Amino acid sequence: MEIGGETFAQKFDLFTCMQCGKCTGGCTVSLKSPLNVRRMMREALIRESSDVVLTMKELWDCTTCGTCTSRCPRGLDPAEVIIAMRGILIEEGRGVPKTIMEALESTVKNGNPWGRSRMKRTEWLQDFDQEVKDLTDGKSAELLAFIGCTPSYDPRVQEVARAFVRVFNAAGVDYGILGTEESCCGSEMHAMGEEGLFEMLVEENLELFNEFEITKMVTISPHCYNAFSNKYSEYGDVNFEVKHYTQFLVDLIDEDRLKLTKELGKVVTYHDPCYLGKHNSIFDEPRKVLEAIPGITFVEMDRSRERSLCCEGGGGMMWNEGAEGERTAVVRVRDAAEQGAEIIAVACPFCMLTLEDAVKTAGYEGQIEVKDILELLSESL
Amino acid sequence: MSEIFVLAEHRNGELRDVTFEMLSGARNLADKMGATVTAVLLGSGVNEMAEKLKSYANKVLVVDDPKLENFNAEIYQKVLSKLIKDHKPVVTLIGHTAFGMDLAPALAVELGLPLATDCIDLDAVDGRLVVTRQIYSGKVNAKVALKGDQFIATVRSGAFSIEEGALNGEIVTESVTIEDVPYRRFLGYEEAEVGEVDITQADYIVSVGRAIKDQENIPLVQELADVLGGVLACSRPVVDKNWLPKDRQVGSSGKIVKPKLYLAIGISGAFQHVAGMKDSGLIVAINKDPKAPIFNVADYGIVDDLFKVVPVLKEKIKEIKG
Amino acid sequence: MDIIVCVKRVPDTSEADVVITGKDIKKDDLPFEINEWDNYAVEEAVQLKEKFGGTITVISVGDEDANEVIRRGLAMGADEGVRIYDPAIEGSDGVTIAKILAAAIKNMKYDLILTGAQAGDLGEGIVPVALAEMLGIPHATLVTGLEIQDGKAKVKRELEGGLMEVLEIDLPAVIGIQTGINEPRYVSIMGIRKASKKEIKLLGLGDIGLTPEDVGEAGSLTVLEELSVPPVTKVAEIIEGDPAEAASKLAEILKEQGVL
Repeated sequence: MEIGGETFAQKFDLFTCMQCGKCTGGCTVSLKSPLNVRRMMREALIRESSDVVLTMKELWDCTTCGTCTSRCPRGLDPAEVIIAMRGILIEEGRGVPKTIMEALESTVKNGNPWGRSRMKRTEWLQDFDQEVKDLTDGKSAELLAFIGCTPSYDPRVQEVARAFVRVFNAAGVDYGILGTEESCCGSEMHAMGEEGLFEMLVEENLELFNEFEITKMVTISPHCYNAFSNKYSEYGDVNFEVKHYTQFLVDLIDEDRLKLTKELGKVVTYHDPCYLGKHNSIFDEPRKVLEAIPGITFVEMDRSRERSLCCEGGGGMMWNEGAEGERTAVVRVRDAAEQGAEIIAVACPFCMLTLEDAVKTAGYEGQIEVKDILELLSESL
Repeated sequence: MSEIFVLAEHRNGELRDVTFEMLSGARNLADKMGATVTAVLLGSGVNEMAEKLKSYANKVLVVDDPKLENFNAEIYQKVLSKLIKDHKPVVTLIGHTAFGMDLAPALAVELGLPLATDCIDLDAVDGRLVVTRQIYSGKVNAKVALKGDQFIATVRSGAFSIEEGALNGEIVTESVTIEDVPYRRFLGYEEAEVGEVDITQADYIVSVGRAIKDQENIPLVQELADVLGGVLACSRPVVDKNWLPKDRQVGSSGKIVKPKLYLAIGISGAFQHVAGMKDSGLIVAINKDPKAPIFNVADYGIVDDLFKVVPVLKEKIKEIKG
Repeated sequence: MDIIVCVKRVPDTSEADVVITGKDIKKDDLPFEINEWDNYAVEEAVQLKEKFGGTITVISVGDEDANEVIRRGLAMGADEGVRIYDPAIEGSDGVTIAKILAAAIKNMKYDLILTGAQAGDLGEGIVPVALAEMLGIPHATLVTGLEIQDGKAKVKRELEGGLMEVLEIDLPAVIGIQTGINEPRYVSIMGIRKASKKEIKLLGLGDIGLTPEDVGEAGSLTVLEELSVPPVTKVAEIIEGDPAEAASKLAEILKEQGVL
């Protein structure tokens, strides 16, 4: 099997795979999907023709949570193998779920996968009482706040973007946004196998960041953070330093720049987003930030940190039905309930959406709330 | 005195509403142009239909020929172009329907006459036809002037309301030699695949549009329909995406419905859709976009995210119904 | 089988607050795309080519930006791209666009011509049927089913009320494609980038035997006079409040209105 003129074997070092199956053993969706990561590693190695993937619907069940990659004793990257196999379907144009096609086409057309107009990207700032610098209006700032598509457009996650502004304004951080010129970071486009689109976004975004002389950046979404931090340098010169907001906040708290006064009085647990945790080993920062909030009783779920259970929001799953069966987000909500949590704190827009849905499905509405760490901070200001 | 031709559209022996709508609109235009209205009826064994047209037109011009029994755009074009050449009507109106769209452009090209399609209003300025048509999915009205002294326009269904006629047009039958068109053969009509639900018979319809985003969200609206004791219908994009079968589609290319309650959820309200539901008893729209045209036909509206409104609405209705 | 597909690049106004400037709308901020109907037409052509072999030529009338949709067609599986342009073309009506296409196509080799049944911007639905008349070949528009057999096309036309008209026409013919006839494939950016290496043939008016007087406003029998924002005839009573409040109020209203 080949991709981009290179065999899968070469590109992903597949001869090193010893077929131990630890990847499949830890797979988020293996209990309900025919997706078998170990087998995929084998298929990618031994198949001459890539036609075999054309009928593999299960390729779209992968959430790219990265558990397989983090568990591989040989240091291989099975998640990227699955993504590359999706890439074959994307290039063929066949076997791609319609909703995924629409998300990709919207990103080409509007710069976001949500099918919304680029001109409405700053809609979340309407009727908002806080000051936000728009760098595209000729203003300058030390730090670029990369808002991201979901916080810009999704009505629920727009609340998180607004909480970001309240918290960063309260701390007196000199930051600005790129307004309607901000485009998708491409993280999910890569995960859906649309490598050409990802490459295009990287090129365009790097050009945009250079134009505005961006040297420091903070993101709301771990997916944007991961793309900028780990993927962009493969395609071009990255002249900026990027942090996820939880990393940034730890510093603000250490410097005592955030006055958190209001007692929350809640039992809170934290759900590790895969793209922050498994992909980037950022486990402590979010917990430190939560601990700084007065009146929080922090409880840890059994499956946490490296062992955290994926919410099934990544890998394009926001635009795809995925495998039938109980959603892992529902399992996750029950995990939180077991610990007596009243609030599931998240640090990722996708986790917010999947878990909030799951609270309803699991029947915990009114008992458990899903809140972004930024929202909890904003409430305690 | 010059004439305005209105091509009567009929299917399976029934005159279609658009015919009477055009005849009603043509009467105003005729007054402005100092013209008379002629209903042009092509078909086979059409006496009964001709009688029905009398009160709406100054003249009913009939060509009755077995070759005209079923609609065949090419045959109709040949007959109509002959009639237009002979009678020189100042305006010829044709429905902007599947029937008219397959006919009017070829007719205009053959005769070298100007053509404006999908018109929602017709006006005469200095003896010339000036039409209004909608562009950019109904967000803009365009006024278009037609050059010359003879014009062809296709008229949108529902653009004019039917006004009872008080005329008593004379029925004039002409015979036209109709050449065969061996290169186009009518084979028949076919019903779109029929499912177990007939939305045209329902009193309560919950109708869903593109904003439902994904097939997996269909149960959400289906449940609301169930609570109401109604059925689930949809707009065209939902069918194009195979999220619901074709027989659930409301609109000019789907079903025309007149339920007691039409609840439009995440439907923007393109005219093709509105044409299929505008006569419903009570129309309620839920849409995120306050400028969505659906709010111009709805009695009540909620401007918000359907995913937030629908679950609550379902529960409330359940409570009320006990 | 050699197929010609006519495509158009159109602005997407679905989310836009449309601004009228003279005889057009402000388009700088609008995203553009292939006309939705044309996308189905290209897919139909590619599926026919996969079945019967032959070539596909994608043709568009428009300025350089139209290359975008031609390239997209090439990436989908078309073999050649042709663009026709002259500044004098601006202001052409639907029949004149058909005239331009016919002038170019009459010298080309084809068994079948596919177009979208209409375009999402102006919605005239003129081109397929006018084009067929100019070329002197049969046509059918609003087609949601197409089978090719022995030099004939069996087509299903979508009529109002969920009914289909089934007919048979001889080839060559022009078919106006209605949405939903197939499931258009995904066109990857990589595919489009590869396709952009293919040369797109540019034809001027002289190349197709037309003069500036034949096209644009001068060559058209209809003239756009003015644009306006449609008057609002009736406005729904908007139920205010957060989603839960609004939904509760609505349920009460439904009860009061006696529909529950």
